[in-house]
Amino acid sequence: MAYVSMGEAHRRITDFLGRFSDSIASQDGAALRSLLAVSSNSSLLLSLADALNIFQDWARLVKQADRNSQQLGEILVPHLRCIQSFRIGRFVEAYVAFEKSANAFLQEFRNWETAWAVEAVYMVAHEIRVLAELADKELSSMGKNPEKLQGAGSFLMKVFGSLAGKGPKRVGALYVTCQLFKVYFKLGTVHLCRSVIRSIETAKIFDFEEFPSSDKATYMYYTGRLEVYNENFVAADQKLTYALMHCNSRYEANLRMILKYLIPVKLSIGILPKMTLLEKYNLIEYTNVVKALKSGDLRLLRRALQEHEDQFLRTGVYLVLEKLELQVYQRLVKKIHMIQKQKDPSKAHQIKLDLIVKALKWLQVDMDVDEVECIMAILIYKNLMKGYFAHKSKVVVLSKQDPFPKLKGKPVSS
Amino acid sequence: MESSSRVGKLGFRRAQTVRTHPASARSRVLLENSSSTRDSDPNYESRESLNSSNFVGTCPDMCPAKERIQRERLRDLAVFERVNGNPGKTSPSLAVKKFCRTLSSNEVHSSDLRPTLVLQNTLKYLLSLMDSSEHPFEVVHDFVFDRTRSIRQDLSMQNIINEEAIEMYEEMVKFHIISHQRLARHRSGPEDSSSLHYLNMEQLTKCLLSLYEVYDINRRLQFINKHEMEFHSFYILLHIGYKIPIMKESLSLWFRHLSSPILHSKEMRFARTLLRYFRMGDYKRFFGILETEASQLQLCLIEPFLNEARVQAISCINHSGYKLQPYPLEHLSEVLMIKEQELESLCCKCGLEVITDELGCKLLPVKQSSFHHPKSDIESYGLTSSDKFHSSLPRPDSSSNLQVNSSHGGTALF
Repeated sequence: MAYVSMGEAHRRITDFLGRFSDSIASQDGAALRSLLAVSSNSSLLLSLADALNIFQDWARLVKQADRNSQQLGEILVPHLRCIQSFRIGRFVEAYVAFEKSANAFLQEFRNWETAWAVEAVYMVAHEIRVLAELADKELSSMGKNPEKLQGAGSFLMKVFGSLAGKGPKRVGALYVTCQLFKVYFKLGTVHLCRSVIRSIETAKIFDFEEFPSSDKATYMYYTGRLEVYNENFVAADQKLTYALMHCNSRYEANLRMILKYLIPVKLSIGILPKMTLLEKYNLIEYTNVVKALKSGDLRLLRRALQEHEDQFLRTGVYLVLEKLELQVYQRLVKKIHMIQKQKDPSKAHQIKLDLIVKALKWLQVDMDVDEVECIMAILIYKNLMKGYFAHKSKVVVLSKQDPFPKLKGKPVSS
Repeated sequence: MESSSRVGKLGFRRAQTVRTHPASARSRVLLENSSSTRDSDPNYESRESLNSSNFVGTCPDMCPAKERIQRERLRDLAVFERVNGNPGKTSPSLAVKKFCRTLSSNEVHSSDLRPTLVLQNTLKYLLSLMDSSEHPFEVVHDFVFDRTRSIRQDLSMQNIINEEAIEMYEEMVKFHIISHQRLARHRSGPEDSSSLHYLNMEQLTKCLLSLYEVYDINRRLQFINKHEMEFHSFYILLHIGYKIPIMKESLSLWFRHLSSPILHSKEMRFARTLLRYFRMGDYKRFFGILETEASQLQLCLIEPFLNEARVQAISCINHSGYKLQPYPLEHLSEVLMIKEQELESLCCKCGLEVITDELGCKLLPVKQSSFHHPKSDIESYGLTSSDKFHSSLPRPDSSSNLQVNSSHGGTALF
């Protein structure tokens, strides 16, 4: 904490108060926004925090300012308290104060007719989430129930409500939606996304194309992820690809996040990424999965899933990757078929189940004839193979035409 | 910590201290009487203050006197509550508090709520009725179903989340699982038993979710319950059945928030593997792993879903088999762990014809176009072990040593 004289502290505080009321009077959204960025630790706010700590009677200054110009006390007093608490790392206090300030701010915002303050609203929406996350961490570390993020979610719904109208303010709704997504995903209450999605996608007041491009990309990223969790791969592919296309290629971290979900989706519809892509974005956890699909190596797939199990479970793609096993079996049988074709093309389409058992054993996968027969039956049932299996003769007979249909952008049939 | 020395009519001494954890004052437990969970509750703030004002029940009997007298007057007494069969007379040792859907928090008095010890004894009594052979199982189930729901309501309103609560929730889950198995065995068409079964699955899920919340709160304070792994596995296994709306989130999302020791436990791995085989359609390994790795309760839970797995297998074989080689039923019945006659019956319910060869062996001709899913709910067939004598695995429904032990020595099941 830097040393600040009383006079200097007084000056900084009145300066800030002046800037605040000026930005509102002149409808300067960008200026107001910077005054609300608590967690950014900007030099302005850091120096203000130091001043607040020295000049303890700052609330009086706010009251004085109020008498002279607009009634901003309801917003400013808790906001300054937040800045002060944040500086000394008391995040629960900071959040509680910010929530109070934000509510007062929202009241005012509702009265302003044009959309000049939307930028500032973005900042409020962003900050309330960030502060809530920090507050919850603090609560958890004290053994208490972390409930601030939930509260932030409720507030954001209110903000959404204030933007969901016919006027120019509605352009901000998608940004707030994305903040809500982040909250719900973090809390694990993802089903709550449904109502906002419905509002965005079906309400007549919204035209999706009107929203800022970056918001659209973020929106598609989250809704794409939802499709992945619900295993709607075609929809997931569309949405995540949109996000990829509209994401600024400078932000490699964002591209990586999108690819993390897009790759399992593509694999599920039979499209394999190049190894160079995986290397470029450091998605090496998928390397062996892709190799296994290319070579029909069941053991490798299993090993890959085991090695990165925790990561895949946290991301939520584990169940998707598990399903790839059938495609790996298909590849293995295809390889056996190719080898047989070279030896004796006329008999190649008949494969003894015992041979498949042997091939699997060579891959250190222990399966008996019944288990292999079952897999063959499934592959045929799901149209990954064309033909039939003969139980008595213990053989699988493949169709001579296109025995291994490709997925062609559609997932394996259920 | 609460303690009291009041002696109730049944002689239960409430001198027992109810251990409440420091976090309980601010913790949330799913309230039984509302359909919305805390997440979507608009009155979030007021719900919090209700919970932190900790209701402490003082009702000494299984049913509050006020309710007992009222129901006598209205002749609203279940068969188990009647003295000598008299529909207008009950007693403190027979009457059990009913579940009340429309309860609002302002209407509740401490004298209406039963404290922990009374709840434990009530539960013990209710579960002892499961052995009764005087009444049809549906009648017993219905009574225990409703009265245990009332127990959960009392637990929730008093925010009881200690080890005693965990034991009670676990016992109630077990009750639902056993009912789940028994109701499915008796179902065969009539609407009543099907909806009873569905409603039971719904409450089973709700009870599990409440239990997980209590586990979570306790774990925050470093208490990991020894049954947690198995009880978490039940939620995965439920996904083999049909999806109930209360399971709002996809399984992938549920996994994201589970702690590692639970995710990697033997019981969870088994459930995840079993689900994987089911989703892949791998009937051979599905039944194979069931035989060797499932616990008794897990088997009870899965049993009503087995026929669906078998029907899928039959469909698969019918589709992929060789027309000139009908599939031997004896072998298939071993694979699907079902008695040969039951398998034949199942095939008929799917519209398939079964033939007999010259040696008297039953065969299933494949590529029959008449295959369809069974038109009505069919009773479940249990697991038949695959040894030569086709003897059944011990059926767990006859004995029901469900006990609530106040000690932590674990509860005997079968």
